[in-house]
Amino acid sequence: MEPRRRLRVGAAAALVALFCALPLLGGVAQVKLKLPLKPRLPLRGNEKIALAPFVLATEAEKARDKRLQNVDLQAEFQRFLKKQIEKKTKLEVVELPTDLKLPTQNLSELGRSTEFWRALGAQTGAEIIVSGSLEFRVEDRSGYKTEEYVSPIDGRTYYRQVYVEQTGFLFDIVFLVFDGRSGEKILQDEFKDFRQTGGRRADELQGLFENLFSLENQILNLFVARDREAERYIFTD
Amino acid sequence: MKKSVLALGLVLVTTACSSYARTDKAATQISFGSTVARKGLWREAAFRFQKAIEKEPNNARAHNNLAVALEASGEFAHALAEYKKALELDPNDSYIRRNYARFAEFYTSYTRTTGKTAGGT
Repeated sequence: MEPRRRLRVGAAAALVALFCALPLLGGVAQVKLKLPLKPRLPLRGNEKIALAPFVLATEAEKARDKRLQNVDLQAEFQRFLKKQIEKKTKLEVVELPTDLKLPTQNLSELGRSTEFWRALGAQTGAEIIVSGSLEFRVEDRSGYKTEEYVSPIDGRTYYRQVYVEQTGFLFDIVFLVFDGRSGEKILQDEFKDFRQTGGRRADELQGLFENLFSLENQILNLFVARDREAERYIFTD
Repeated sequence: MKKSVLALGLVLVTTACSSYARTDKAATQISFGSTVARKGLWREAAFRFQKAIEKEPNNARAHNNLAVALEASGEFAHALAEYKKALELDPNDSYIRRNYARFAEFYTSYTRTTGKTAGGT
């Protein structure tokens, strides 16, 4: 067979193969669904809730990191939590004595302090009591990073080391939820968030709220149903 | 030369006809179902994908689409069965596998129970 004719037959065969495969390739589309998330706690929805203090896991670090001294983590978190619960649930937040002290700073022992939580529930009328631990860290993540670089001289791609200033904000909450009547722990859950922003002197309070707002849905989902957006694939033919 | 072009044309027409005859109405239902699904009309989409399955019970794509529509409508137990069926029919399809993995993650946390009840309620 002459070369040109062989080429033509080859091209024709390829075309036939492509045409046969067309129905198999098919189309795919990505769709977004809103999925419900059941509340983690089996509540009626209108219970009386008390927000007890949280153990601060970063207390010891405050002395070392001056930036943490500007953040009243306990007050900021309590204010955030109270506001979110009042705004987005039908739970009734009851006030606790201002001089309330936790029986221990150890999280495991706190979870076992049944008598303390029962007494607090009886004193305030709270049906559920929330406590736990908080950790907030500001980390200097500055350092050398590899960057792609296209030379204007020869147009080729090179790699170079550049110094990038970045700050990381780490937030870790452990929630302990107690039954105000029996004092028993009914739920323990942990949420973590890490945010990174450019610059070495990023504001720590702003970082804290970025962490909190990204955890908002998960925190509220302890008490009420929430929606979550999810992506799935559907075939179009 | 003319003969070979004619033969090629004949092959193309035959292939096209056989391809589209094979997909029959299931493809039409899937196509319409996916159009309404993208508009958020999940009940109608589920109905269409169900029709496609009636035409072609072993169509993995139709089972996958029905599973997604059922999931979007909150019928998670049925969605699970459909995802499993789709995966059984075409275990190597990466889209079906991804959908099933993501659904399984969601469904596990959805069905997770907390055990105790606050305030004895």
